[in-house]
Amino acid sequence: MATVVPTALELPDQLQVVGAAEELPEQVTLWQDAWRRLKRNRLAVIGLVIIGVFLTTALVSFVWTPYPTWRQALGPTYQGPTLIHPLGLDDYGRDILSRVMGGAAIALSVGVGASMLASAIGIILGLLAGFYRGKIDVLISLLINISYGVPDLLIALILVVLIGRGIQNIILAISITAWLGMARLVRGQTLALREREFVEAARSIGTKNRKILTRHILPNALGPIVVQATYLVPAAIIFEAFLSLLGLGVPPPAPSWGAMASEGYKAIQIAPHIVLMPCLALSLTVLAFNWVGDGLRDAIDPRMRR
Amino acid sequence: MTGSSKFRSLAIAMGALFVVAGCGGGGGGSSETLAADQTFRFGMSNDITSLDPAHVDSAVDITYLNEVFTGLYRFDNSLKIVPSGAASMPEISADGLTWTFHLRHDVVFSNGDKVTSADWVWSWTRTLRLNDAYASNLEAIHGATDVENGAATITGLSAPDAYTLKAQLDSPAGYWLTQLAMPTASEVLDKKVIDAAGDDHWTEQASTYIGSGPFKMTARTPKQSMDFVPVKNWWGGDTGKLTAIHVDIGIDDVSRVKKFESGGYENVGMANNGPGPDDVLRYKNDPVKNKLLTVYNGARTTAFGFNFVTGPFASKPGATPGADTTNSADPGLDGRRAFSMAIDRAQLADIACAHAITCQPAYGGPITKGFKGYLGDTGDPYAKFDATAAKALYQKWDPTGSKVKGLEYRYNTSGGNTKRAENLQAQWKQNLGVDVKLVPSDFPTLQRDRKKKVVILGRESWGIDYDHPQDWFDNLFSCSQAKVGRGNDEAYCNPAMDAITTAANAKSINDPATVNDYVKAGQMLVNDVVWATIDYGTQPYMTQSYVRGMGYNGLYDFNWEGIRLLQH
Amino acid sequence: MSRGTLVYAVQRLLLITFTALVVSSIVFIGVHQLPGNALASERRLNPATEQALLHHYNLDLPWPQQYLLWLEGLAHGNLGESLVNMGTQITPLLLREVKVSVTLGLAAVFVTIFIGMSLGVLAAIRQNTWVDYAASTAAVIGYSVPSFVWAFLLILLTVTGLYAWTGGTIYEDIGWGKIEQIPVPALALGLPYAAIVARLTRASMLETIRQDYVRTAWAKGLSARVVILRHALRNALIPVATILGPLVTGIITGSVVIEFLFGIPGLGQEFVTSILSRDYNIVIGVFTFYAALIGLANLTVDLLYPVLDPRIRY
Repeated sequence: MATVVPTALELPDQLQVVGAAEELPEQVTLWQDAWRRLKRNRLAVIGLVIIGVFLTTALVSFVWTPYPTWRQALGPTYQGPTLIHPLGLDDYGRDILSRVMGGAAIALSVGVGASMLASAIGIILGLLAGFYRGKIDVLISLLINISYGVPDLLIALILVVLIGRGIQNIILAISITAWLGMARLVRGQTLALREREFVEAARSIGTKNRKILTRHILPNALGPIVVQATYLVPAAIIFEAFLSLLGLGVPPPAPSWGAMASEGYKAIQIAPHIVLMPCLALSLTVLAFNWVGDGLRDAIDPRMRR
Repeated sequence: MTGSSKFRSLAIAMGALFVVAGCGGGGGGSSETLAADQTFRFGMSNDITSLDPAHVDSAVDITYLNEVFTGLYRFDNSLKIVPSGAASMPEISADGLTWTFHLRHDVVFSNGDKVTSADWVWSWTRTLRLNDAYASNLEAIHGATDVENGAATITGLSAPDAYTLKAQLDSPAGYWLTQLAMPTASEVLDKKVIDAAGDDHWTEQASTYIGSGPFKMTARTPKQSMDFVPVKNWWGGDTGKLTAIHVDIGIDDVSRVKKFESGGYENVGMANNGPGPDDVLRYKNDPVKNKLLTVYNGARTTAFGFNFVTGPFASKPGATPGADTTNSADPGLDGRRAFSMAIDRAQLADIACAHAITCQPAYGGPITKGFKGYLGDTGDPYAKFDATAAKALYQKWDPTGSKVKGLEYRYNTSGGNTKRAENLQAQWKQNLGVDVKLVPSDFPTLQRDRKKKVVILGRESWGIDYDHPQDWFDNLFSCSQAKVGRGNDEAYCNPAMDAITTAANAKSINDPATVNDYVKAGQMLVNDVVWATIDYGTQPYMTQSYVRGMGYNGLYDFNWEGIRLLQH
Repeated sequence: MSRGTLVYAVQRLLLITFTALVVSSIVFIGVHQLPGNALASERRLNPATEQALLHHYNLDLPWPQQYLLWLEGLAHGNLGESLVNMGTQITPLLLREVKVSVTLGLAAVFVTIFIGMSLGVLAAIRQNTWVDYAASTAAVIGYSVPSFVWAFLLILLTVTGLYAWTGGTIYEDIGWGKIEQIPVPALALGLPYAAIVARLTRASMLETIRQDYVRTAWAKGLSARVVILRHALRNALIPVATILGPLVTGIITGSVVIEFLFGIPGLGQEFVTSILSRDYNIVIGVFTFYAALIGLANLTVDLLYPVLDPRIRY
């Protein structure tokens, strides 16, 4: 998706192919080295902690929330934070804390789910296009070029209207618009890597193409892929929020943050806490993922190795 | 509390207009200082669907037709029927079958063309030929349905001279006068203009959008705005003090209120485009803003309906729509009653309608409170909330939970429907332990599903066309409608009830015995729980303090001729 | 413009036309495979009227035939008639709305580049000071907070807040038509991208500044510093220009939501309305316009590229 992905990766001259002349031993220490560097990045660590908190919240919410997220009329509607309802009640009289917890589960499901699905499709097709070239490559390149001409939100909107609004459908719709970006990245990486010596070497000893792809090319392209996949998560979360705002997100009474925000906005002058809480949660989560993504990008960037 | 203030404002409005008696205009008297700029501005969410009286269907669009066109009769601000294009009330023969109308001699279109009886005949024939939503307003005339099916002329309509119309009816129709007063299908149109501009295109340009009403359109930009001005020297009298009306299109309810607060609009609420419930609540609670808010009795009922021929709630499972559904061993009755009793309508109105401001809980049957045929404040025995009884009844009806497996509630997402739907879902879960899946959709999809009788449990709603129970029974609950599928999505067919309403249709509505008949029929409806009525809509309006003459009588906005802006 | 550039431009224009055609064809065909007819609006139509209406829109023909008719209309620039609002011609409607969206979009791009680059330059020349950290943090927050949240905040601030604090003299009016209604939605739309541009500018400037020749010239004195700044700035434009393509696409996407919140009668709002009301004719028209618009926008960006970076040649 070309929307909110921070763009260091879009710059051709910053796309470094990870991995130098030697292969396996380097790779192990490379990842260890990357992890070490990541740990030293304060913002990334904070990001990881925040993600951890939300992840835990999401997992807990599957089993327990202070009140059922769907239960209405727990008290006077629009009520502000009180002791028994620390984040207040919404316009239906539902407990906001419980709903924010449930929203974490939805956000992370959509975010991680869409990212993984889009990445899976994108990686496979990108590898095939970049390695085998030929008809597959022509088709995929054409798709990528056409995709530049249409905003992904519009495609996703139409898809959601056509296939319906369940959480799986939304993940599907987002993935369908997102895999192209990943495919483009992987294709580029593959194109560069297939010319490298170790690939030549592997080919000369008769390694099957599939093994070359999975054992040699993919691991070396993994760095930027992981970074891109990390950035895809917050992009997908925001995407779902956009859909919810337009009334096409995960259907009620699912407590998606975007839906909560769009409902709460209408009451912003009488009860600002209703819109504030989900927006805060949403922004924090996205921020956290962005920090982690930045940290990962810096961690694997060989130019920053010292 | 809300009720008494609503009645108070309506009573005041009616009292004020009792003095003015109909034709609007100038009621303020010499003590008012008028503003220099008499432009009235307001906004709408969506563009109009149709401005053609023969095609119009929505209450929003009707607002404009009311001002640009005239029929033989019209409603004044207090819903009294007064002559408009006709010079006097109709002469009706003793057997009720012949209606004679004497027309005014001075009616002209805004382009100067004179109106004669031939124009009326042509306009009515055209409406029937196009056979759209409100062609039914003319179906009482003998030979009208033939025109709908292709005949060239209405055999029962004649014009003995240039200013007289004569109509032969198939059977006495007490409600026909009311239908003629509706600002839709029976209004007079300019044949010359429509023939020249094209039947499909004459409403597109302001220059060809010609009517005989007090106002005319001067500009229209699709999906953006519309402008109207009063007609100079209008034959019907004073067109009032406004010099221009400007309508913004594409402004949602939240934005409308924001624009109102920054002085960009004189009013929020005109043309059925009111403020959202959250803003209404905000105004209600603010001592200053409260004075700008008026809540009128609305003319819409919202309910949920049960499918009588398919699914767990069916009274006669497997019957074809249109067949008799009365069944002494009705297998769905307990379920319908349980689902209705499980809903605390007060809670729903509190949550879905901003503390019961934009709607009121319904306890008196489908026909809206305040209109003829209302069953009284306790008229619906199954509208009374009783969670324990509901749960017991439900468990007796469906001990294993198999009947409600996969149950869906279908509704269209607009206005407060989402809030109602989510509250219904929560209450059924809480009070019955039943999980109902919400299936929101747009209106066309809901309509399609209803026609296919796929909707087992769905939102129902009806906005009154005129104050006559016939509007309800013939459109929503009769056996013939169940067959045709234009209404009566529940496919409820009770021949005994139809007999009562058909007989009542022929009698005069002013006779209390007639109203009683409709009430009897209504009681059969609620006992069979065809609709579980949940609320009666109210119309909240926000009006600037310097506006006079704005109002709402339950069906329509007050006429523009009476509105004026004071100096501010 | 060199001959090479001209050839390139023509090639791209052809690609754009092709893309627009393909996209709208896909939508057209897809829409016509949907079950049921497209016409059931709020009214309850009786069969005869429904038939007449279907005929009016050619919906009673088999879809391949409809497609050919539509292509023919497209060749004349006629995108057809609205399904929901009969009589409304689509082409003039969308032309009017695209002007609105383009105005808003250009304003947003301006906001993005102006604010983004200023912030980025500031952070770069004051590297590692509190200014830098503040600006960098602001940037990350900028693109982490979704644009609609910015819209919420801005509306609250400029419409309600300003009105209340100044007693009704200064405020932002919802809607479109006056020039003062452009800045606030443009701001809401452009802020997240301004943040991205800020980061890019900072990174690029830092890189340029670190170069040896720069360090030498810097030591030479004030005027040199100014020259370096200008040179570094010029180089910083290049990465910005690179993301200008996705940026414009992103702004067009974001405008769908922003137009909706600010009541702006543009293409984005039209798209949402038409999709929700199942006005497929308009949906197809909107897609066609968007494909053409984005293609043209990207082409403009690509044509500007050699102006900024003389190394690029087509």
